[in-house]
Amino acid sequence: MKSTRALTPYLFLGPAALVFGFAVLVPMAMTVGYSLTEWTGVGPMRFVGLDNYAKAARDAVFRASFSHVLVYIAATLVLEVGVGLGLAGLISARRGTAWFRVAVFTPVMLPMIVVAVLWSFVYNPDFGLVNAGLAGVGLDGLQRVWLGDTSTALLAISVVSGWVFAGFYMMIFHAALRQLPAEIVEAARIDGAGEWALFRRVKVPMIRNAVAVAVLLCVTGGFQGFDLFFVLTNGGPYGATEIPTTYLVKVVFRDGDVGYGSAMAVILTAVVLGVGLVYARVQRGRSAASRGRWT
Amino acid sequence: MTTQAWRRVALAAGALLLLGGCGGSSGPSNDHVLRIAMGSPGEAQIRVWDSVAKQFEAAHPETKVELNYLNDDLYETIGLQNLLNGRKAPDIYFEWTGSRLAQRVKDGFGADLTKQFESGPLAGLFDDAVLAQYTLDGKVVMVPYTADVTNVLWFNTKILADAGVKPPATWSDLLAACDALNAKGITPIASGNKDLWPAGNWLAHLSSRVVGEDVYAKTLRGGASFATPKWEKAFGYIKQLADRKCVNQSANAIDDNAGAQLFFQGKAAMHPIGSWLVSWAIDEAPDLAFDYVNLPAMPGGAGNQGSVIGVATGYVINAKSAKIGDASEFMALLNSKANVRALIKADATPLSKPASAGIENDSRSARLSTLLNTAPAIVLPPDTGYNLKTADALYQAIAAVLGGQATPLAALKAIDTKLGR
Repeated sequence: MKSTRALTPYLFLGPAALVFGFAVLVPMAMTVGYSLTEWTGVGPMRFVGLDNYAKAARDAVFRASFSHVLVYIAATLVLEVGVGLGLAGLISARRGTAWFRVAVFTPVMLPMIVVAVLWSFVYNPDFGLVNAGLAGVGLDGLQRVWLGDTSTALLAISVVSGWVFAGFYMMIFHAALRQLPAEIVEAARIDGAGEWALFRRVKVPMIRNAVAVAVLLCVTGGFQGFDLFFVLTNGGPYGATEIPTTYLVKVVFRDGDVGYGSAMAVILTAVVLGVGLVYARVQRGRSAASRGRWT
Repeated sequence: MTTQAWRRVALAAGALLLLGGCGGSSGPSNDHVLRIAMGSPGEAQIRVWDSVAKQFEAAHPETKVELNYLNDDLYETIGLQNLLNGRKAPDIYFEWTGSRLAQRVKDGFGADLTKQFESGPLAGLFDDAVLAQYTLDGKVVMVPYTADVTNVLWFNTKILADAGVKPPATWSDLLAACDALNAKGITPIASGNKDLWPAGNWLAHLSSRVVGEDVYAKTLRGGASFATPKWEKAFGYIKQLADRKCVNQSANAIDDNAGAQLFFQGKAAMHPIGSWLVSWAIDEAPDLAFDYVNLPAMPGGAGNQGSVIGVATGYVINAKSAKIGDASEFMALLNSKANVRALIKADATPLSKPASAGIENDSRSARLSTLLNTAPAIVLPPDTGYNLKTADALYQAIAAVLGGQATPLAALKAIDTKLGR
């Protein structure tokens, strides 16, 4: 019986490990393998060593795509996490916000393709809601070709992303805020803290773990962004919204260069993993420092 | 249970998972579903395809026909490629002749249909002259469908007449029309070029007229660089379009559907796009009075100024399909007299023999068909006639000049840099 017990954890882990292996590890290993070849997706492969990685390092479009995604991530940190936090602060300070929460959360439940198509109508420069609204209030001078102007296209996509995910982060923060001990909040109020000071100096520091998770999700999710970009601009105008994923898809499916596309996928994965690990380490350091202050 | 027994159970479970994970393979599935994939041919033609599918199912009760209509751009870029490599790959799929078709056959996705045309269900449906366009290395590899003019300049007859503008026959006519229409606050030309091919096709044709068909083909095949005085002259005309505000400011931000809507709703006077606009208009703008002219003649151009940009299209039967016989029968049914009549009513211009047997057609579609058949020179569109990467680089350069983002020479140099020339 003893040996059976020793095996039991592995049996429970086995199916999950196999699924993980086939769904994640094997494809990752195959992608690394493809990245060392020149291959169109059909026919024979030719081993080219690290040539595809050298090509990626020289590729100005690929390098620029990382700049674009970093700008997008910075914008979404404000528009998703920042706005979500602000909304959570508002609804946690008031009663009767159920309908508001449902309304703000609803976009999260819509398929991203539907959201993208919907917003392509909103941003349409000729028939769209944004330009029509600006004209309606006499601000014709502010009308733009939002998705066709290199200075506004990336921001316009970030706004859509914020519209979708602010509600998601709001719910995460709202759940965290509801867990705060009531006596601490009451004590702060008795000490004369207003709602803004209470939110900024008491509530937010106490849900910093939830904020840290939200930031990590937002950053890693930003690197994985694809559908909004693909539908709204497909990397345009003039490459201003080209991000690694849209460029990768073009290289693989339009150019039929699976080897080079795989090298780009490996680099992207390494960057996302690296960012995640660095962030986790920084967070661990902060937690340790914060524990040190209280001991 | 003993340890050994646990191990056996674990091994069996692992083996099952392995088989589940590795048992499938890509390619068409051997079931009773006939899968057909294409870009969207427009609602009018979709109704005909759906009807043919029902007729086929009635005649073959054991078979179900599954029609998959994809967004055109998606189909051309990643859609078809994904479908062909999937587990339920199409048995029949739409394709353009040219380098794309050759690549499909090379990759093993195009069946040799020669016997089907000689003695099978497709025998006698097409003239040999038509089949010649669909023949590679002596094998017929595609069932002909239509010959599309991929770009002419459509115009709203009422808007032009009200503005006192005649349909442009020359380049100076076109620029004068732009000025006259702009003065009246009407967008002269609507283009939805977000996906780059709509203006790309139009202005590649313009370029071919300027540089000459031989230089155009040689450059697109990789035999010459783009940054030459001839191409610079051609791109200079694109810059003139931008400078004279001939094209809607939103051109590079909206897709082809939105571009067509500007034309259908009377917000723009002209719209450069292919023959399929007639079919679209049946549902989208049934009352709109519109007609077309071929691309205006370019001053001092080295090419044939009567050239037409177009491509023959058809349906490939997947060589990996287990239902090549059924697929051939379906395509024969599609090309039966009654169904060809329905396709023509839906403003398609099929190439099969029944199509030329005295069936009336919309005058614009018939004239377009004649335009292509009698063209003194036919120019292949970059994205279907040549390598897609080259086409994309050319299209991006055209969009950049049209959008005022690059000078002609800088845009042409950028193409050469991208293509390593």
